[in-house]
Amino acid sequence: MSNILEHMARVIQDASMVLSKTREETGCKMIGIFHPVVPEELIYAAGLRPVRLFPYIDDFITEGDAHLQTYLCSNVRAVWDQVIKGKYSYFDGAIIPRSCEAVTFLYQTWKRHNPYPFIDYINVPWKRSENAIDFFAKELGRIKNDLEGFTGKEISEDSLHNAIRVYNRNRGLLRKVCELKKAESPIISSTETLKVVMSSFILDKEEHSGLMEQLLAELSKRSQGPRAKVRLLVTGGCVTDARLWEMIEDCGACVVADDVNNGSRSVFTAVNDTMEGPLTALARRYVMVPCSFNTANADRFTYISEMVMESNVHGVIFAINRNCEAEKFDYPNLDLKIREKFDLPTLHIETDYLTDMAPLRTRVEAFIEMLNAKGG
Amino acid sequence: MTEKTKRERPAFNKIISAAIESHYNNIQTNRPMGYALMAPNPLVEIAYAAGIQPAFPENYAAVSAVKHLSRKYCETAEAHNYAPDICSYCRNNLGYVYDSKENPPFGGLGRPDLLLLTSSACTHYFKWWDALHEIYKIPMIYINTPRVMEPQAMPDYYLAYAIREIEAAIIQVEDIAGTKITHEKLSQAVTLSGEVVDYWHKLLDLQKAEPCPVNLTDISNALFVLIALVGKQEGVDVIKTVYDETKQRVTDGIGIFTKEEEKHRLMWINIPFWFNLGLFGYFEKRGCVFPLSDYTQYIWGTTKMDGAKPIESLARKALEGELNSSLDDQIEKMLVDIKEYHIDGIIAHSNRSCRVLSVGIPDAVKVIQKELNLPSLVLDGDHTDERVYSDANIMNRIEAFLEMLG
Ligand code: SF4
Ligand code: SF4
Repeated sequence: MSNILEHMARVIQDASMVLSKTREETGCKMIGIFHPVVPEELIYAAGLRPVRLFPYIDDFITEGDAHLQTYLCSNVRAVWDQVIKGKYSYFDGAIIPRSCEAVTFLYQTWKRHNPYPFIDYINVPWKRSENAIDFFAKELGRIKNDLEGFTGKEISEDSLHNAIRVYNRNRGLLRKVCELKKAESPIISSTETLKVVMSSFILDKEEHSGLMEQLLAELSKRSQGPRAKVRLLVTGGCVTDARLWEMIEDCGACVVADDVNNGSRSVFTAVNDTMEGPLTALARRYVMVPCSFNTANADRFTYISEMVMESNVHGVIFAINRNCEAEKFDYPNLDLKIREKFDLPTLHIETDYLTDMAPLRTRVEAFIEMLNAKGG
Repeated sequence: MTEKTKRERPAFNKIISAAIESHYNNIQTNRPMGYALMAPNPLVEIAYAAGIQPAFPENYAAVSAVKHLSRKYCETAEAHNYAPDICSYCRNNLGYVYDSKENPPFGGLGRPDLLLLTSSACTHYFKWWDALHEIYKIPMIYINTPRVMEPQAMPDYYLAYAIREIEAAIIQVEDIAGTKITHEKLSQAVTLSGEVVDYWHKLLDLQKAEPCPVNLTDISNALFVLIALVGKQEGVDVIKTVYDETKQRVTDGIGIFTKEEEKHRLMWINIPFWFNLGLFGYFEKRGCVFPLSDYTQYIWGTTKMDGAKPIESLARKALEGELNSSLDDQIEKMLVDIKEYHIDGIIAHSNRSCRVLSVGIPDAVKVIQKELNLPSLVLDGDHTDERVYSDANIMNRIEAFLEMLG
């Protein structure tokens, strides 16, 4: 593995330590965010560090259950458990979106027991009309004011344009890495790609982009990997546990495309602020993020179909967290369409925080063997 | 305490039953017919103004649960890959859609011509109607609204967004129904809706009386009018009858119990167990009445409907109510109402299907206990999926709670 990939993997593994150290050394205040629908550029432009929240693979949920019942997605419950156990002591606040229902409850609980000075909720429209974009831009204006109140500093138009530039560059580089997986013999594995993407949730964007430039240069010299015989697409909500991706690869498949919140949905497309003000431009890009909670089934199918065709996918794995109601709701119809339109085999597995991989492995193995027998 | 096993229900229940039956007949005969979500849905008044018949799959799911059909429907939905962690209202409905439909309750829910969606409750709403949209391939009208965590501090542009959503929806509905919704027609529907809401508030106020005039089962029966018949003269007529009878009971000092018999006045939090409404009969046997519930109090009828400003009223309707605000907001309301309704104990249903009404309940109960020093009981269950309900366990816990109440 390259030094850069190793470094990125360590950043995820030791996220708490890395962030505590950064907070101490730079004094830069940190704001936790959830899901790819919070326009981070705003937070960045305020001179704060947006950090994406996902549960660190750590101990069991012990204290969070007092506030969030077990029928809520464990991804959210684990984050909350880690918050109240003081594991994110470097945070100064959070901006939580109206994304899935579970996250909306996370906000309410967080606010009631707020451990940090700043907390905000952002209404993300579940529609893509001009009316929705106009509303979202105004909602961003409110968040901007709130952030200005928190820092005591105005967020200038220039700093917003700059933040957009910084993020566009980072996402552009991430998309380049993701593209590499499309090759017949990809030079980067899916677990590596996942870690590249997820390390961008933690590191400073400029620093991360610098690493990415080096990584891309390094990868261009890498010799081709083995031919990806079984090419899979993984779709689901928050599939943040790298063990799952490792397990799939270990079973002999290559995840050549993904449709998950912590993958392609996060790097999807750039913000175009050349034609309109930065808030509207941000709103226009972020309403399009193709998560399940804000996207109609037909639009999700279009998004997946493009990947299936471009990446020459042989099979699809639905990896859905227990109690992730939006993804579970989309599954039957998407599954049917994928099998009908592309004649592709699919597999549904249910994941959970600290899920036991062994039973999942048996099913994934069988699925991959079946695809192998079909000749990929 | 009473020895009677079954108490006489207020006469209005029969009138409501007739109204429900006639609603289900209308669903079979009136066209166009649209499936409408129940959470304060401004498309109900708009539908009536356009001559569209709304039908309510959530209500039908509750009806199916009362008739113990939800097991069958949920299982059918699950056989079509709709997972058990999806709200059982949705599974009931999707199961019904895929069912062979032999002798369904009320003759069935009918095949819709259009779908009337608002997003003011939960993530399920959008996903559920979207799934129906895929199945039926019929037009869908969608009013998207933001969630209002702090209703007292709602920004103006929230209302402006909702107003534009309503205006756009009206144009779409006109297109589908092939009729113009004039200002007069809309204003009339909103005025009628406002009259139902006004009666509803007066009705709820009567529940403060001691003895409490009617029980939660009677009020939740009447809730049908507030949800399904807003915008129709029939709704006003029915709710007026309900109110008049209840008022008379208060005047005459008639309640579920006599004042002396009324041992405990409890609050019920969340949706009842529809498949076990007999539970309230059990409480009655133990001298307990439920004058207050968030389910009947804070979800519907929270918006003043003004016929002079129909679009704004409908926009506010889409934004208001418990399903679209925060638990903190509910806690504040409950703290006031618990005192006003002279409540001396709380039973909360932690309903795994309806997270909107359930997540945070342990927190809410703790706050209430601390502020008002009230005993409380949290019961785990589901509003329609009987399979996750453990009668023995629930009854043991209730028994222990009642003993503790004394
Ligand atoms: S996995 Fe699903 S329910 Fe859980 S946080 Fe992600 S989108 Fe929400
Ligand atoms: S989760 Fe609650 S609000 Fe949503 S459909 Fe189910 S019962 Fe209704």
